[in-house]
Amino acid sequence: MKKLFFLLILLFAITSCTKEVTIDIPGFEEQLVIDGSIETGYPPLVLISRSKDIYSPTNIDAFLASFVSGASVTVGDGTTEVVLDEICTDNLPPGTEALAADLFGISVAELANYHLCAYTTFNTSMWGQVGKTYYLTVNFEGKTYTSMTTIMPATNFDQLYWKPDGSFTDYGYSWATLSDTPGQYDAYKWEVKRINIGLDGQPIDEGFTKTYNPVFDDDFFDGLTFDFFYENPMVWDDPTVPDEYKGYYHLGDSVVVKLSKMDRNVFSFFEKKYIQMSTAGNPFATPTNIPSNIVGGALGVWAGFSTSYDTLYCVP
Amino acid sequence: MRYILLTLFSLFILAFPYAQNKSTLSGTITDASSGEAIINAKIYIPSIRQGAVTNTYGFYSLTVESGTHIIEFRSGGMETVVKEFDLSADIIFNIEMANELKDIQEVTVSAKKGENVNSARIGQIDLDVEKIKTLPAFMGEVDIIKAIQLLPGVSSVSEGGQGFYVRGGGPDQNLVLLDEGVVYNAAHLFGFFSVFNVDAIKSVTLIKGGMPANYGGRMSSVLEVHMNEGNNKKFKIKGGIGVISSRLTIEGPLKKDKGSFIVSARRTYIDVIMKAAIPESSPFSGSSYYFYDMNLKLNYKLSEKDKIYLSGYYGKDVFTYANLTDAFTVDMPWGNGIAALRWNHLFSNKLFMNVTSTYSDYQFKFGSEQDEFRFELKSQISDIGGKVDFTYFPNTRHKVKWGVDYIYHTLNPTSVSASSQDIVFDTGEAQKLYSHESSIYVLDEFDLNEKIKLNAGLRYSMYQHVGPFKRYIKGDISNPDSVINYSKGDLIKFYSGLEPRISGRWLLSETSSIKAGYSYNYQYVHLTSLSAVSLPTDVWYPSTDKAKPQKGWQGSLGYFHNFKDDKYETSVEVYYKGMKNLIEYKEGALPGDNINDNTDNILVYGTGQAYGIEFFVKKAYGKLTGWIGYTLAKTERKFPDLNSGNVFPAKYDRRHDLSVVTGYKLNERWTFGAAFIYATGNTLTLPTSWYVQDQNLLFNYGARNSTRMAPYHRLDLSATLYSKAYKVKQDKLTGEPIKVKKRFRSNWSFSVYNVYNRSNPFFMYVDSNGDFLNGDFKITVKQVSLFPIIPSVTWNFEF
Repeated sequence: MKKLFFLLILLFAITSCTKEVTIDIPGFEEQLVIDGSIETGYPPLVLISRSKDIYSPTNIDAFLASFVSGASVTVGDGTTEVVLDEICTDNLPPGTEALAADLFGISVAELANYHLCAYTTFNTSMWGQVGKTYYLTVNFEGKTYTSMTTIMPATNFDQLYWKPDGSFTDYGYSWATLSDTPGQYDAYKWEVKRINIGLDGQPIDEGFTKTYNPVFDDDFFDGLTFDFFYENPMVWDDPTVPDEYKGYYHLGDSVVVKLSKMDRNVFSFFEKKYIQMSTAGNPFATPTNIPSNIVGGALGVWAGFSTSYDTLYCVP
Repeated sequence: MRYILLTLFSLFILAFPYAQNKSTLSGTITDASSGEAIINAKIYIPSIRQGAVTNTYGFYSLTVESGTHIIEFRSGGMETVVKEFDLSADIIFNIEMANELKDIQEVTVSAKKGENVNSARIGQIDLDVEKIKTLPAFMGEVDIIKAIQLLPGVSSVSEGGQGFYVRGGGPDQNLVLLDEGVVYNAAHLFGFFSVFNVDAIKSVTLIKGGMPANYGGRMSSVLEVHMNEGNNKKFKIKGGIGVISSRLTIEGPLKKDKGSFIVSARRTYIDVIMKAAIPESSPFSGSSYYFYDMNLKLNYKLSEKDKIYLSGYYGKDVFTYANLTDAFTVDMPWGNGIAALRWNHLFSNKLFMNVTSTYSDYQFKFGSEQDEFRFELKSQISDIGGKVDFTYFPNTRHKVKWGVDYIYHTLNPTSVSASSQDIVFDTGEAQKLYSHESSIYVLDEFDLNEKIKLNAGLRYSMYQHVGPFKRYIKGDISNPDSVINYSKGDLIKFYSGLEPRISGRWLLSETSSIKAGYSYNYQYVHLTSLSAVSLPTDVWYPSTDKAKPQKGWQGSLGYFHNFKDDKYETSVEVYYKGMKNLIEYKEGALPGDNINDNTDNILVYGTGQAYGIEFFVKKAYGKLTGWIGYTLAKTERKFPDLNSGNVFPAKYDRRHDLSVVTGYKLNERWTFGAAFIYATGNTLTLPTSWYVQDQNLLFNYGARNSTRMAPYHRLDLSATLYSKAYKVKQDKLTGEPIKVKKRFRSNWSFSVYNVYNRSNPFFMYVDSNGDFLNGDFKITVKQVSLFPIIPSVTWNFEF
């Protein structure tokens, strides 16, 4: 369907013209944005910010100023509760600078210029475990926001493989065979990073990258075993890769694939998020608001993920 | 309700005592040059100020006091015939009317002088196709739907769009009929052209309020289009060659004066232009678009009392896209097929019957293929129906109609199939829905006295949703999902309702009248649209146990006044419309959400209201003709599950809508036309705020339809140059020069669309660009406009 939309736009593009306008968009109301996650074997991590008026300034300072501090954040697993620690960029534990910079999308050098806070805990009893449901409570400026998420059992790939695409001999997509568990709801997220060693002696990709639409659920294939492919999302912005090879893995690449599973409400958030990102402004799609699983009037998500990792060696 | 029935019954009874010492003049009125039946020709007796009009088949019946009467036969563009009749007994008088001695019609909405004041019908407009042809044409294609969008109370969906909204009702609430067959999608090329080829069309009638009881199944309006019957005197060919499309029509007698045929075809050649523009080496070289359509009609007079008609329409749009680099192809055909077989029978000179059987089909398919992946989406609606209509003309004061109709609907809203290599994905079963829709009606159009004329009727409609059908019930934590299976023929749900209709006219003077109308309507099929603009992907969905029929009422009141011997016609109409069980998709619904589920599980239901006032001033004849229409209106919706249950404006809510249409006939060869439109901008839903999650910028949308686009305005111009209609020959007997009509006639039609190149908003969106870290990140509101100034030229011919 997205391709249909794309084609229709292409058709209209032949005759249409686009210009920037200023138009009154009534109804702005500032909301709290809670971006929290908990993954198997990792601590919960929560960022809190505020939504901004559509015409508000969009420079880096305005963006970073939208993050808030001073909230009380609690995570529980139904039996015990832990109050998360507020850790801020101007007061980071040694060795966590790179992680913090990555979290906010700024350079390590800039960290000290901002007071940006995240909420987490070093209490390993509250780190993610498969099968548990985690309850989040945020108190901020007199309001309470709550949510819950379950870490679903992980599913491993049957196999990962690579094959050259079409007439190419050295370029192809990453392919996978997956056996979906029958009779239960399953939702997946696909992330990748290449671990080939670069000229600097380090793996060429630092962290995991998500593909164009990284989430899918088993609505179409409950209980089936099937093959599917994903493109290489890392090379789109890489100027050294010629256009005709964009989206492909190169013969010899080594790729770690992280397959995460999530519950239905979390999938619903991510499904609509990626739909919004691909259709925002498209007149052939309905405006998609992203359904938050947080109760109390906040935007965002409290997401639990179970993960499985597999490595793909790109050889025929 | 009992009171209404009683009143109708007594009025019906009143129709009959007049049948003593009276005689009936009846017959058919046809065009002398082609043998085509003339619709709405007026038969008038000035001495008693009574008359009749011909029906769709050219038939009339007039019962008056026995005696000698001078009777006038009038029709727009035809020589008026005045004849004396000795009506001491019943007379059958068939008349062939000759064209007036002018070749170019003036631009008017209707040529029937005084009709707008005298008729009991409120909110009804007849358009003459020949006159529409002189209006400015978009890309050279004369379009009747674009013409009706210029009338007050009717608005277009968007730039170039074919869908139309009548008095705040949705685009699915218009009953579009082509020779009695229902047209489900009246658009080609995503709505830029209508399916009606003007060369094959004879008449167009729009009823936007006070719908008579013989029409039903839709809530807002009726657009009734009749095809030409074909010339039963001689063979004729006409056509047009335009910039993007051409058309050809052939008509002639099957047997002279007995029967005739007409075949008309049209095709665009955008694909040929694209093929020339896209080199073979291009990865897109397999991409193209074209549409074609064909109209066919046959009629045959079996006897003086029996005539049959067969009408057919078939049209298809085909859009293909191929990107050879990505091994990605798309194939997207859609189109309508419509057929109608009709039989007219005269039981007597007062009782006319028409039996119709119709077939209507609309299909849409989207198929795509990339590497081993295949995907196909289909949607289809097909109707088989029949109806019997009787018209009884007991005397000049009454015209009684009654009838029954029946439609069997088969709908497949969406079926999807997808596969990869040998694996077929579970995309659910194709869900076909079956239903019976039927109705019975009676109406009487009668003169209560010289001043008051009424059209009162009652319709009773019924609807049965029947099996086979699967009802999916979504469970919750304690109850798993379940399915109820209905077998073939099982009755799943029955709906029915009474639909009273009444309209009337109170003549204040020779030149002014007040009219009022009330109608109650049920609608059993609905168009569901996911997008902000109308698309072939919008799917029709029938009423089910869950999706209730739409129902609503409309009341209207108008004052009509003509000036200067009907040269100027003016009117003011107010209306209010209340609607229930309207349908929208749930917030955030997606195509494909109905896989392994019923579409009605992702629909939500609400109410709506619309009200407004319409002003209309028309100059009906003279060198300069035209009209000004202005509408001040409001239309709102309220859905408990949308917009937090708050009232929101409908997406086509327009406060102001103005159209100015003029035609100027300079001389026998040159005619000029102009149309100016101003309309309040459409509503839309835009994001009110942005936020960031996982370093992605996301938007939060505000209240539904709370943002309004800039106003829409546009000026179009046209000029038509006709070839000389006559040549001068020498009379063989007298040697005098005489004027002889040329057999081959042609004209050049020039149009300029959007003369001052206004960038009208087609849609708007919020765009984000750049990078926070680079400091060039920016959120902007963008407006997309479709058509700049577009000149076009078409050469039309006829011989």
